[in-house]
Amino acid sequence: MDHNVEVREFFKGLLAIRHDRQPFTDSTSFFLSGRLSSVDAVELVVFLEEKYEIDFAEVGFDQSQIDSVEAVGSLLNTVKAID
Amino acid sequence: MSATLTIVPAELSPKGIARLTNFRLIPRVDTYPAVVSFAQMVIGKLVLLVLFGLGLAYASTDWLILILCLALMTFLPAQRRILVTISTLLFAFVVPWKFFKQPFYSVVLIALVLTLAALLFWCATLWPRSWYGRRPVFVFLSSFSLLIVIVSYIPQGTKAYQLVWDLTIRLSVYIWFICYSLLDRSSPSRDPFSLQLGSYRPFWGSTNTPFAKGAAYLRRIEARNPEQLAVTQLKGLKLLAWSILLSRFLEGFNYCAAAFLHVPQFSEALRLSANRTPLPWYHCWASILVGFFGSIISVSVFGHRFIACCRMAGFNALRNTYRPLSSRTIAEFFNRYYFYFKELLVDVFFYPFFLRYFKKQPKLRLVGAIFAAAGFGNAFYHFVRDLGFVQKFGLRGALASYQVYLFYCFLLAAAISISQLRHRKPAPSGFIRGQLWPSFLVLLFFCLLNVFGSTDRNYPLTVYFRFIGHLFNLSL
Repeated sequence: MDHNVEVREFFKGLLAIRHDRQPFTDSTSFFLSGRLSSVDAVELVVFLEEKYEIDFAEVGFDQSQIDSVEAVGSLLNTVKAID
Repeated sequence: MSATLTIVPAELSPKGIARLTNFRLIPRVDTYPAVVSFAQMVIGKLVLLVLFGLGLAYASTDWLILILCLALMTFLPAQRRILVTISTLLFAFVVPWKFFKQPFYSVVLIALVLTLAALLFWCATLWPRSWYGRRPVFVFLSSFSLLIVIVSYIPQGTKAYQLVWDLTIRLSVYIWFICYSLLDRSSPSRDPFSLQLGSYRPFWGSTNTPFAKGAAYLRRIEARNPEQLAVTQLKGLKLLAWSILLSRFLEGFNYCAAAFLHVPQFSEALRLSANRTPLPWYHCWASILVGFFGSIISVSVFGHRFIACCRMAGFNALRNTYRPLSSRTIAEFFNRYYFYFKELLVDVFFYPFFLRYFKKQPKLRLVGAIFAAAGFGNAFYHFVRDLGFVQKFGLRGALASYQVYLFYCFLLAAAISISQLRHRKPAPSGFIRGQLWPSFLVLLFFCLLNVFGSTDRNYPLTVYFRFIGHLFNLSL
C-alpha cells in the first residue's frame, strides 16, 4: 500500500475524532493551521514509529515534518534514502 | 412520539445549535472577497492601519511606535523579517528607556543577555555533533539552574551580589526565547541570528512565554503574497476588536461581581479561611468561580492583543486562547486556554522525553512525557519566572514556599495523564451528553485546581486544603 494512502487515512481518522469533516488535500496544513493539536501529533508520531520504524530521536523532530500528507511523505522518503 | 418531536423548539434542534455556534459578533470580514481586495490596495492598507491604530490607542500605551512599525511592515513586506528584528530591538532598548531605573545599566544587561544568546546559538550551529550541539536546550537549562544555585549562595552586601542577580533575572526573562532558537539549530531553512533576534520578546508583546513561538514558526506562518497579507491583517483587526470587547466585558464582570453580587476576591476568601474565620461555603464557591472566569477572560484579552499585532505584522499566528469553555477533555482545555505556554512545554519538555525514553512501554512513555512537561516543565517555568523569591527567601526557602504550586503541577500532570490514557473516541452524540456535560466536568475540575494555582506563596499547602474543605462546608 502506498504510504501516502495510509498517512491520508490516518489523518482522516484523527480529524474524525475532532468532528472535522472538511475535505483536505495532500498539501493541507494540519498542525500549523490548528486543525490538529500536539495531542494528535503524538498519535501520528507513534503511528510513524510503529508502521515505518522511524526513530525521531535519531532523525530529529520538528512538527513541520508531519504537518501535511506531503510533508510526511517527504519525511518517509528521506528516511528511506538514509537507510 | 411524533407529536413530542414536533414541539422541540427550533433553538434546540441541531440546526438551531449550528446557527448559534456559527453566530459571530464580529463579522468574518476576512472571508469577504471585496474587503480582501480592498485591503490589498494602498488606501485599503491605510484604512486598516488607521482602524488598528485606533484600537491600539485604546488598548495599549505605546501604540504610536507600534503602529509605525506595523506600517513599515505593511508597505515593505519583502523586508518584514528584518523589520521585525529592528522593531523588537527598538522595544527592548529605546521604548522602555524612561521606565528603567538605571537606563544605561539596564541596556548593558540586556545587551549582555542577547550576546550570550548569540554565542549559544552559534556554538550549537557550528558544532552540531558536540556534546553541547546534540542537546543544547538541556545543557542550557541545566547550566541556568546551576547558575541559580550558585547565585543564591553569593553573600549579600558583596560587590558582585546585585550585578549577578540583576543579570540572572534579566536572563530568566529571555531563556524560553533562547530555547526556541536552539530548537531551530538543525533546521535546513534555519534563520540567521539576526532574524532569530526578532522573536526575542517581539515588539508586538509577549510574556515570558514566547508569543508566536520562535523564528521557525514565524517563517512558516508568514504571509507569502498580498492576498495572504490582507487576510492575515483583517484577522488581526478582528482579533483586536474582540480583545477590546472582552476587556470591556471583564471590567463589567468584575464590577458586577464586586458591587452588586458582593462576591469576595479569592485572596480575601483564602485569607479568612487561613485565619479560621471562613466565609460561608457559597461565598467561597462564588469567589473561585469569579476568579476562574476572570482569569480566562484576562488571559484572552492580553493574548488576543499580542496575536492581533503579530497578525497585523503579516504572520498568521494561531490564537492564544480559543473557546476554552467548549473543551471536552482536560488535555483539550490545557491546549485551548493558553496555547503558547502549552506549546512551549510540549516543545521543550514533552517531545525530548517522549522521543527518547520508554519506547517499549507506551503508557509509561506518555505519562512520563506529560509529567516532564505539565509537571516538571510547568513548575520550572514558574520557579524561574519568580526568581525574586529566591533572592528574598534563599534557595531552600523559595523551594519550601513553592509547595502549593508544585502540588498544582502534580495534580495537573496526573489529570492530563488520565485524560490521555483513556481511549480516544468520537464524543457521544447529543448536545448534552456529547458537549455540555463533559465541558461542565472539565471546567469544574480546572475551577477547583485553580485554587492551588496561586504563585504568591503566602500560605502553606494545608491552608489550601482547609479552603477546599470550606467549599464543601467542612471544617478542617
